[in-house]
Amino acid sequence: MKTLAAVLTLFLALQIGLPKAFAQQRFTVSGYVKDQQNGESLIGISISKAGTSTGTVTNEYGFYSLTLPAGEHELQFSYIGYSTQKIKVNLKANQKLDVKLVTSNSQLNEVVISTKQQEKNINTLVTSVNKLSVAEMKKLPTFMGEVDVLRAIQTLPGVTTVGEGSSGFNVRGGATDENLILLDEAPVYNATHMLGFFSVFNPDAVKSLNLMKGGFPAEYGGRTSSVLDIRMKDGNNQKTVINGGISNVFSRLSIEGPLQKDKSSFIVAGRRSYVDVLMKPFLKGDLKDTRLYFYDLTAKANFQLNKNNSLFVSGYFGRDVFGLGEQAKFNWGNTTTSIRWNHIFNDRLFLNLTTYYSQYDYSLSFASEEDAKEKQGYDWTSNIINYGVKPAFTYYINSNNSLHFGLQSVYYKFKPGKGVGTEDTRESVIELNHQHALESGIYLDHEFKVSPKLGIQYGARVSGFQYMGKGTAYYYADTTAGIRKRLIGQKEYGAGEVIKDYYFFEPRFSARYAIDNKSAVKLAYARTSQFMHQLSNTASPTPLDIWTPSTNNIEPQVADQVTAGYFYSAPTGKWEASAEVFYKKMHNQLDYIDNAKLQLNQLIEADLLPSEGRAYGIELYAKKEVGKTTGWVSYTLSRSERKTMGISQNEWFLNRYDRTHNLNVVVNHEVSKRGSVSANFIYASGTPGTFADARLEFQDWDIPYNTTEKRNNYRLPAFHRLDLSYTLKGKQTKRWKGEWVFSLYNVYARRNAYTIYFKQNDDDKTKKEAVRMSIIGSIIPGITYNFKF
Amino acid sequence: MKRIFNLSILAIAAVFTACEDKIDLDIPKGKVYPVVDAWITTAPGTQTIRISETVPYTSSQPAPVVSNATIVLQDVTENKTYPFTFANGVYSHNPGANVSIAKLGHVYKLTVTLGADEFVAMDTIKRVPPVDSITYEFKKKDESASGKEGYYARFWARDIAGPVTDYYWVRGYRNTTSNVQSNIFAIDGSFEAGLADSAIFIQPIAESITDWDKPFQLDEKVIVRLASLSKPSYDFLSHVDKQVNNGGLFATVLENVGTNLKNTNPASTKKVLGWFGTSAVSFADKTIKPL
Repeated sequence: MKTLAAVLTLFLALQIGLPKAFAQQRFTVSGYVKDQQNGESLIGISISKAGTSTGTVTNEYGFYSLTLPAGEHELQFSYIGYSTQKIKVNLKANQKLDVKLVTSNSQLNEVVISTKQQEKNINTLVTSVNKLSVAEMKKLPTFMGEVDVLRAIQTLPGVTTVGEGSSGFNVRGGATDENLILLDEAPVYNATHMLGFFSVFNPDAVKSLNLMKGGFPAEYGGRTSSVLDIRMKDGNNQKTVINGGISNVFSRLSIEGPLQKDKSSFIVAGRRSYVDVLMKPFLKGDLKDTRLYFYDLTAKANFQLNKNNSLFVSGYFGRDVFGLGEQAKFNWGNTTTSIRWNHIFNDRLFLNLTTYYSQYDYSLSFASEEDAKEKQGYDWTSNIINYGVKPAFTYYINSNNSLHFGLQSVYYKFKPGKGVGTEDTRESVIELNHQHALESGIYLDHEFKVSPKLGIQYGARVSGFQYMGKGTAYYYADTTAGIRKRLIGQKEYGAGEVIKDYYFFEPRFSARYAIDNKSAVKLAYARTSQFMHQLSNTASPTPLDIWTPSTNNIEPQVADQVTAGYFYSAPTGKWEASAEVFYKKMHNQLDYIDNAKLQLNQLIEADLLPSEGRAYGIELYAKKEVGKTTGWVSYTLSRSERKTMGISQNEWFLNRYDRTHNLNVVVNHEVSKRGSVSANFIYASGTPGTFADARLEFQDWDIPYNTTEKRNNYRLPAFHRLDLSYTLKGKQTKRWKGEWVFSLYNVYARRNAYTIYFKQNDDDKTKKEAVRMSIIGSIIPGITYNFKF
Repeated sequence: MKRIFNLSILAIAAVFTACEDKIDLDIPKGKVYPVVDAWITTAPGTQTIRISETVPYTSSQPAPVVSNATIVLQDVTENKTYPFTFANGVYSHNPGANVSIAKLGHVYKLTVTLGADEFVAMDTIKRVPPVDSITYEFKKKDESASGKEGYYARFWARDIAGPVTDYYWVRGYRNTTSNVQSNIFAIDGSFEAGLADSAIFIQPIAESITDWDKPFQLDEKVIVRLASLSKPSYDFLSHVDKQVNNGGLFATVLENVGTNLKNTNPASTKKVLGWFGTSAVSFADKTIKPL
């Protein structure tokens, strides 16, 4: 009933906007905007009626629709880095207008910067969004010479990690599993290679990334803290291009080209690391057959079937492999596939239908030596698979109103763990029950330009979740918080039978008010829910940490966030700045009892504790996009805490990923036509840690003990680091373009503490020490040669 | 199986120049609690229990001994009591050189009286299989993962077949039982229940008796002790193991180890730390001779 009421309210509200729209005869101009050189669809291009504030932007597929009164109009298509194109249209009927933009020769192009840009911070409705283009990411100093999506977003305000090599990131005080990472709309469960040092996204295949930290449009659901929307390149539909790079850690190669000029294209990109090959001379004995590498393959093809239909097929496959000869093998990776169909019903109704498949799995195996007198083996596997479908509609009612609505549904299959032990011919198997779940959402969002100064977007999402059979539901007795719960019953459920269901109504709202043509204020509120939980009690998640659905014992996470911001854009258009404040309340984040067993544990739910969380802060951001010197500065002052019955004496304590101050400075300077230098400096308060103030002598151990019983009662030393890089373009001929990138990571060789723990000295067991672990202990150089032909 | 995982972390850490160094932390002195270290085994002869006090973690002084406690061990199954008396820093009971007070399957209760407070804990002696043998191989510097030359030993034993899950504590010693080299904890013959019932202890457990950083040398004696554990004792010891071997890229939060010694007066706020555990034990040893 609540839902129905909300939908009705939405439509009622719409009526207010509509009569005005029909007062005069109006027609729609719509079409796709693409890059002339390579045919890539362009996202977020602003289209405006010259000299007015009337306008729109292209969507994720480069489509736009603008309804204007009948008559002559001059339309302006502009985007940073592209020459503005002005096109006169005489609207007598609905009209198709596909536009191709040309990249501007210089970033200094005055035409570009003086045009009114709809996508500028002050002009967009949404708040708490950061976009980075691949060009911007490429300007950042690299780690071991590789452009990295996840490292790039860590320079943005509100984004932190627990430290170098962490395989997750934290947005506005949320946990690492609260980020929805989408690769061409398919969720990615483990976004890193090598336990966190590199992200799985091949920079040669990435077109854009969009990080939403709050004020989520109703379309997005399923995670409470952020959405990282990564879009892959479509592939050049004009000519075949080969891109590649060779660095000291790995090599990349991609090929893209038209399948049918102007109509269809493809891209295939692959990477392979060769750390183990380089390590070989240093390894000996039992370690000499060590394998340690990763590879990934990204591919996409798109087909423009006709004027109103396009099809996109994309896939990702990646794997990390670690092994010691034939004796020990460990590998993990993601697979995603998405098929998308864009359909234009008419000039004003656009549909994108996505179906996807996503999988994450790992396997560990161990076998006795070839010549062993008893043959023994052990295998352990785990995976999560999901199938999803999401039809998403956009209805462009008129130039002031558009509606976004759609459905989403994901079916999950979990195989939390299977162990197989063998001895000669005998085999023992333990397998945790498979789990199944269905997550669905229905949403409606209305984007409404009330006046040139005021715009609002409001809507709602209803999220539903069914935890279902075939499976076993377990029931536990309530005991003292912090102690393993006692099993009191269990019940078998048949396939498709619902064990437990949850429904949430999630209102979403954002508003923007332009104070003048230089500044705007924005306000947003969003409620979000989450039904997937990653079980991890380490500083950052490991590849072995499994995902679990909400169950009859694990309640879904729900978060409420309010954001308010002030946005400024310099009249010259050369730089922009923003200040945002946020407050977020989180419910049912997971925590763990002491000595919890998170792997291969059928009764894992007995070891989990629900928490209440809260986070708040202020984010400052300034960015200069044009000129010889470009870059951005971001600063975040924030706090992230939680309260868990059974931990830290039931009082609020700091989250492991809390950082009070977080400063990032990124500067790029074009020294000459061929060379440019970049610098990146980070300063962040140390993360909290739980320190021992006592030890117990027991048997032959010295056991560290914290008599305050307060979690995260101290802070690690502050984190800071400077990285530099120099890019030198080689000869740029028509056929071959090459560049060298030299980078220095951690220039002054700071040993930033990742964790601090307590142990006996390895050489003298009578000595007990606090030990600081630094993941990167010295300066790390990187050299990459990138080429394109 | 965490071993493979840990090795992969090690290898990756090496690539990225990971390093550990000692740091000085200014941490206020914690509260002081008595710590009961009581482990009774089926080994014949004197059984000892130690009570000390917690000390600041980095303190190099040995923990002060608590000498004014009264300790009584009770065999609940047979309803027999054994008093422990304090001497030379420990509380002990000597039933006679070849006499064992702990018996398979019996339930034991420990009562520790400290001032006005009385603390009690119980544990049961579970079954243990014999250690069949110890074997060893010689590895040159460049043949071993640690780069240390010496003799790498392993033991051979077979888990007792069902119907219950067995928990074990495997300890390796060098020359004497006062020189502990390693500790590892097993469930049946492996690390997980249900995987290796009645199997030979898997290789990572069997090989754990050698300290890889300090392999055995000629004429040294390898001693292995296999001890049975009750489930609560296994949980406690594996928790201890996690805390004392915490570290690295995936270090977990420091979580205080529990205690099974409960104050009999619920109104009292006094508490003690430590554990009372009981084990059936079997030993084997072998002196390293040229191969």
